[in-house]
Amino acid sequence: MIRISHSQSRAKSPAKSLARVLAVMLPISAAVQLATGAPSLAQDMQNQDLKGFWLTTPYPELALRPGEKENIQLTLKNADIPPQRAELQVTGIPDGWDWALEGGGREVTAAMVQPNASERLMLKVTPPAASADKSFPIKVTAHYGNDVTTLPMTLKVSSTAAGGVKLTPQLPALRGTAKSTFTYKLKVANNGAEDALFNLAAQVPDGFQTRFKQGYGSEEITGLPVKAGATADLTVEVVPPHSVEAGRYPIKVAVADGENVANTDLSLEVTGQPEISMQGPQGRLSGSAVAGKDTNFSFTVTNTGSAPVSDIALRASTPQGWKVSYEPKSIPMLAPDAKQEVNVSIHPSEKAIAGDYMLNLTASSGAASDTEKFRVTVETSTIWGLAGLGVIAASVIVLGVSVTRYGRR
Amino acid sequence: MKREGSPFKGVMTVALKEAADHMTSARMHLIMLLVLLTAIGAVYGAINHIRDTTSEDPFLFLKLFTTAQQPLPSFASFLGFLLPLVAIALGFDAINGEYGRRTMSRLLAQPIYRDALLFGKFLGALLVIAIALLTLWLLMTGLGILFLGLPPSGPELVRSIAYLAATLVYAGVWLALAMAFSTLIRSAATAALAALALWLILSVFWSMIAPLVAGAISPVDPYNPMTLLSNFETQQVIARISPQTLYGEVSSMLLDPSNRSVGPIFMSQLQGALINAPLPTMQSLTIIWPQISGLFAAMVLLFTLAYTVFQRQEVRA
Repeated sequence: MIRISHSQSRAKSPAKSLARVLAVMLPISAAVQLATGAPSLAQDMQNQDLKGFWLTTPYPELALRPGEKENIQLTLKNADIPPQRAELQVTGIPDGWDWALEGGGREVTAAMVQPNASERLMLKVTPPAASADKSFPIKVTAHYGNDVTTLPMTLKVSSTAAGGVKLTPQLPALRGTAKSTFTYKLKVANNGAEDALFNLAAQVPDGFQTRFKQGYGSEEITGLPVKAGATADLTVEVVPPHSVEAGRYPIKVAVADGENVANTDLSLEVTGQPEISMQGPQGRLSGSAVAGKDTNFSFTVTNTGSAPVSDIALRASTPQGWKVSYEPKSIPMLAPDAKQEVNVSIHPSEKAIAGDYMLNLTASSGAASDTEKFRVTVETSTIWGLAGLGVIAASVIVLGVSVTRYGRR
Repeated sequence: MKREGSPFKGVMTVALKEAADHMTSARMHLIMLLVLLTAIGAVYGAINHIRDTTSEDPFLFLKLFTTAQQPLPSFASFLGFLLPLVAIALGFDAINGEYGRRTMSRLLAQPIYRDALLFGKFLGALLVIAIALLTLWLLMTGLGILFLGLPPSGPELVRSIAYLAATLVYAGVWLALAMAFSTLIRSAATAALAALALWLILSVFWSMIAPLVAGAISPVDPYNPMTLLSNFETQQVIARISPQTLYGEVSSMLLDPSNRSVGPIFMSQLQGALINAPLPTMQSLTIIWPQISGLFAAMVLLFTLAYTVFQRQEVRA
């Protein structure tokens, strides 16, 4: 461009300048040709004695899964002979199979191959889903010039053959409580010939939540890209609802791209979890008691979990000098959702001052425990109030006596 | 000669006349002016202090009574200090003033008993103090609503009304004392001086005398911690002879709901206790009831003393 604009600025006679431009450009294009031709020249130096026209494929014998599309790669190669037009023909594919020969994304029946170049073709074969396990010899022929090159192949239909995608769980059965997060590690293997982006799906019972993550990553994903022939780690987290009953739950995980589907069955076992809840009278968190006197409160111990609880001990941590006793003293057995009334007798210390104190009342068994913080308002006894009234009454009586005694005219 | 009929006939006449006299007297005007000015100053300082420092308090209104901003003391301590002065001013010449003006014979020539005269004089002065206190209380409440912008809650109202009643009883003690002096001592000036001297001793010097006396009665043995406690308790008992101490305890319990006791508290009693949790109003009243009944009994007994002395006096002088 610079050269052209340069020459235009001095364009006194057009013919002369055009000649100059050509003169400048020609050597350049020749040099470019030399540069791009250099590697092919070098390759030819190695295969100097090879000359001719071939049709090849990397795996001439391969296994197919019934009902799944398989892409077989074919290569037409021309070595050191003039450009060839090759008529292509596929024979031996049984009736009822779906197949197509494609080049550059379109269906083709002939291909043109330049000297020292190759042309890629794709033979797409889909055996019917119902086909039996059997081998089929097929033949791909290319007619070029007056010659023929043939590629014999054997396609073996096998339902056990490695498909396009495979999903393998590391630990297919997990066990935990209703509060656990169940984490399944899965391996997704892409055995197909192409990179694929798999969609992820899971079928779980109602109320269960699932999350897909890649390997040990933290991002939630909905799709997982896997390179051809590679495997990827997939983590599935299943969170059961907190109120789920103990039992075994089936889970189905599937990965799919447009053509291939793989799924696996997982099992999730929820074990029962005992849980105790202790509640004050009518759900209250506070009450009042008189210093030095027993006051009774009716507490309720409930098993809110999904497994029975046994041997519930009832204890209390109190300020110094206080006494707390339970009736009954312990609960031998409590079924899920069962309730037990407990009479709690609180005896504040004689010396407790008026006002609020905090008690911790605990119900505990080996597996579960609950602590209720109970606020007790201590009231002082009213004896001193009566004494005060007595003092006032005494003074008034003294006044009354003196009024009657000294009453005069 | 025994009297016939009720000794209280004519009490209300005397009381209302007495109250009317007090209301119009220059003495009362001056002393109420003093109380009003100091009270308004204290409340205004308290409001400013509360607005500057308190963000939230369930008993904000009661803080009006107890918050002090330097150099002014709080409203409650003002009342504790100045109310005796008001009561003494109203009572120091109740009886001997009548003698001094030579009006006693003329007064008793009316168809009323002496009982009624003394009762009436006491009730009249107490009525004046009650009116003054009620005015002050309403003024405080009004200022609080005006400047803090919130009405007092139920418990606050109950507590402040109970405080008002206790304050009236406290003033009654000093009034009865002043009247007792006015019957005992013929000269009004001497009676006033005696009452003022007692007021000074009980309200200013008593806090110094109490530890001294307690140290003499139950000395502290440094090797026996229990003597420390008994010394403290003796000191408290002696201090409570002064109505000022009793009144201070009453106002601190009623006006600060988080106060839980007026006596010594041991660590074992505080274990598990929720500090600063407000006490129910009835509990505060129960705790402070002995103090209130003590003040009331002191008032009645002092009045009985004055009554007995007056009944036995020769009035035809």
